[in-house]
Amino acid sequence: MAQLTRRKFLGGASAIAAGAAAGPWVLRAHAQGAPIKIGLVLPYSGVYAVLGESITQAMELVFARENWTVAGRKIEMIKEDDEMQPPVGIRKTEKLIESDKVDILTGPVHSGILMGMRDKVHNSKTILIVSNAGADAISRERCSKWIFRTSFSNWQPNQPMGGWVAKNLTKDVFIMAPNYQAGKDQLGAFKETFVPAGGKLVGEDYPKLGETDYAPYLTKIRQSGAKAVYAFFSGTDAVNFVKQYDQFGLKQSIKLTGAGFLTEPDVLPAQGRSALGVITGHFYTPLLENPTNVAFVRDFRAKFGGKMPDGFACQGYDTAETIVRALKAVGGNTQDKEKLVAAIEATAFESPRGPFRFDPKTHNVIQPFIYIREVKEVAGGLNNVPFDKVADVRDPGTGCTLPS
Amino acid sequence: MTGPVLARAAALIVLTAAVALFPLAAGTYPVKLLQEILIWGIFAMSLDLLMGFAGMVSFGHSAFFGIGAYTAALLLPKFPGLLAALVAPAVAAGLGALVIGFFSIRVSGVYFIMLTLAFSQMFYAVAFQNAFLGAEDGLVGIPRPAVLGMSIGSTGAFHAYLLVIAIVCALFLWRVVRSPFGHVLRGIHENEARMQAVGYPVNRYKLAAFVIAGMLAGVAGSLYTQFVGSISPSAFLWTTSGEALLMVIIGGTGTLFGGILGAGAFILLQSLVSSYTERWMLILGLTFVLLVLFAPGGIVGALRGRVGLRA
Amino acid sequence: MAGSDLFAQALNGLSYGVLLFLLSVGLTLIFGMLDVVNLAHGSYYMLGAYAGLALIAATGNFWLALAVAPLAVGVVGIVVERTCLRPLYRRGPLDQVLLTFGLIYVFEDLVKWIWGGRIRSIPTPELLASSVNVWGAVIPSYRLFVIAFGLVMAIGLWLVIEKTRLGAIIRAGVYDSEMTAGMGINIHRVFTLVFAFGAALAGLSGVIAGPIQSAYPPMGASILIPALIVVVVGGLGSLKGSLAGSLLIGQAETFGKAWLPGASMLIIYVVMALVLLMRPQGLFGRALK
Repeated sequence: MAQLTRRKFLGGASAIAAGAAAGPWVLRAHAQGAPIKIGLVLPYSGVYAVLGESITQAMELVFARENWTVAGRKIEMIKEDDEMQPPVGIRKTEKLIESDKVDILTGPVHSGILMGMRDKVHNSKTILIVSNAGADAISRERCSKWIFRTSFSNWQPNQPMGGWVAKNLTKDVFIMAPNYQAGKDQLGAFKETFVPAGGKLVGEDYPKLGETDYAPYLTKIRQSGAKAVYAFFSGTDAVNFVKQYDQFGLKQSIKLTGAGFLTEPDVLPAQGRSALGVITGHFYTPLLENPTNVAFVRDFRAKFGGKMPDGFACQGYDTAETIVRALKAVGGNTQDKEKLVAAIEATAFESPRGPFRFDPKTHNVIQPFIYIREVKEVAGGLNNVPFDKVADVRDPGTGCTLPS
Repeated sequence: MTGPVLARAAALIVLTAAVALFPLAAGTYPVKLLQEILIWGIFAMSLDLLMGFAGMVSFGHSAFFGIGAYTAALLLPKFPGLLAALVAPAVAAGLGALVIGFFSIRVSGVYFIMLTLAFSQMFYAVAFQNAFLGAEDGLVGIPRPAVLGMSIGSTGAFHAYLLVIAIVCALFLWRVVRSPFGHVLRGIHENEARMQAVGYPVNRYKLAAFVIAGMLAGVAGSLYTQFVGSISPSAFLWTTSGEALLMVIIGGTGTLFGGILGAGAFILLQSLVSSYTERWMLILGLTFVLLVLFAPGGIVGALRGRVGLRA
Repeated sequence: MAGSDLFAQALNGLSYGVLLFLLSVGLTLIFGMLDVVNLAHGSYYMLGAYAGLALIAATGNFWLALAVAPLAVGVVGIVVERTCLRPLYRRGPLDQVLLTFGLIYVFEDLVKWIWGGRIRSIPTPELLASSVNVWGAVIPSYRLFVIAFGLVMAIGLWLVIEKTRLGAIIRAGVYDSEMTAGMGINIHRVFTLVFAFGAALAGLSGVIAGPIQSAYPPMGASILIPALIVVVVGGLGSLKGSLAGSLLIGQAETFGKAWLPGASMLIIYVVMALVLLMRPQGLFGRALK
């Protein structure tokens, strides 16, 4: 793999540079000079592999910009494929913590794996930066001072949408999500601001996860008299739902809206023109015009063959950026974990999504904005065009008590 | 005792000693892989009793694994002892097997396969959607039981505990297979009509085998919960049954201990290969294909130098 | 308006049922006639979908893809049958299970290697991209096409198997291969043909289902279980059982989703369990040999 040779070369180069600049540092604690190990538990096979790749690529982009060196120490990324299965994810977590002895762990995509990892990470005092899984619990009753999240909590993209839809579109909405806790949580967040804004739930349905035929549900939507639909679906569910929604001719009379995952770049190409006009709320879109994002999109596309970054890539970017800044702040000292945790907590920087910082109460990212976007045809194809936004969305963190 | 029997016994003893002493020689991750192999090995051996000896191919064996796992997960936080860790899961799984078996044994062949699969998928659906059972994320934070007053939290202590249970299960199955009961099972497998004509209550024997296998699968599930400290609905998935099926076939159907070898081969392939290459699926698949075409008796068959031990 | 609601859902049920029939008929043939456990059935479905994607990308013509993709999958079927399956006919179901399981992994990874892991989809053909109103029920015209296509396919298959010489040879070869070989017919070729045909049918269903569903490397698993259930409910080896089973399940699933929220994960399994408990050999299955 190209990365191996690049790593070897950079390893050699940075060893020389480190040697030259090291001087007084060499006499310090034993692990100095040894590489900083960053573990990644992500899916690299299966349908969610595209998420794993996006996150990883953005991290590589940031680390490459730093020449894979921080505070005189080499950065080493150890990637493990969790195959989106809890038993494998937990096994790989064990390996990274106990065998590879990583300094910082990142990942996963699957919330079930995250929940399975949580105790292991907490009890072994391993720093985990969650780069995707949105399980609300990690920022609430299952929070831990060792766990940070740069991605989102399931609550965040949905909560502002409720009020927004009621005020700007219509108050008669049919809501839908797959029948699992995450789906129910996401719709629950939507309802929090939808109902107080005068919204009326004309219908509420939970098809099974992995449903391939939404026809009965689409017929119900048509018969309900709803003026809009708010849906949370991701992956193949999002593709099937949006395509079939369009095939049933519902888009003309019943506006389709949803959480950002409904039209993210992992599903948009497959949805094609069926996704045109769909409105979603998300913390990122590659069309954001802030300077950090413009540079990010340009550099990402240059490095990865024209591929457009997505929300997942932004999560990876923020994860790597956090790691780099925190490590710089502690001078590369990974032995003093308390200091490193404090440094991570204090990290603040300009991210492609806007000004990035953690909520010290929950260690979850404070979304600078949730952007309201519409799928339109722009130069280069279909994309989520932002046209409105809600600022400063932070997870309520109910039940989280972190030592301050 | 004859030569080959002595040799085989000696080999088994050496192997067992190696497994027992492994934590002294290797790091935590390899030891944990070995422990997982033992747990899945028990699961696979219990399935081999059904498949290899009674001739009942079940695609729903994960139902009992899951019942055992969830029983332990629900009871251990309140009662961290052996009753909750081993007895209750076995009993619960056995009861589940009694009910499911009662209905499933009325059909045979591929219908049996699909009916058992349907039952385990029903359990999956219930566990996936039930908040008390942890819904799709399952239950976490499960403590290990205290064994005879001692804690088995450490890897070494758990290793000893697990090894003892694995040996007991293996010996138990070995005895069952060699008992008159086991012989009747094999007779049923070879020619059910004849056994029926001779007067054996065939269905009762099949149900008994189903329940015994189910109980052991429940023990394996419970051990898995204790091993990881958590459990998720994937324990009930038909793919979990499928993996056990593969382990039995790879190890050698009808050889009993092949189950542990098959578990070892499968887990090592699944975990180690994927750490080295992205194309692990291709390698795994090709391995299965080549194994079937060139080593029809599974690993044990190849070891014995035989061309095939038919199920 | 309860009447048109009911009719709309029944129409949905019909389209889903016919799609299920198309998805499973290849398995019925291979499993029922050749007695081969073909767990890789979902893989041929996937290969058909990806072959369709490739053909559409090259020619832009859905109908061409529909005609040619199954042929490509049939060729793969021929290769698989002659190299991997032929040695296993004598060896019993478990070896076939392990082999076809291995093939699932191999095909999935090969597809991922060539096409990448992202989700793709076959676009709806222009001709059928709208929805129509049928007696008050709104249904996409593409689904009407699927219903028509599926029923024509069912009749066509029945005619071939029951009324042609080729069909007679196949039936004879399956019933008693030695006798048939003894009559001078190349039984190996018959088996290869049937297997390839079953694979081609699975590939065809991959293209047909394309506009409604997504294409991604693990997609085979999503239809394997439903196809197995249809085959079992209908009864092994019975074409009309396969049709009856899929139509039954199509209606049960559709109305279950409409009326029993929360039970949608279970419906297909409960239906199968009920059918098997009442008729252990499926609706039209012959008594097992």
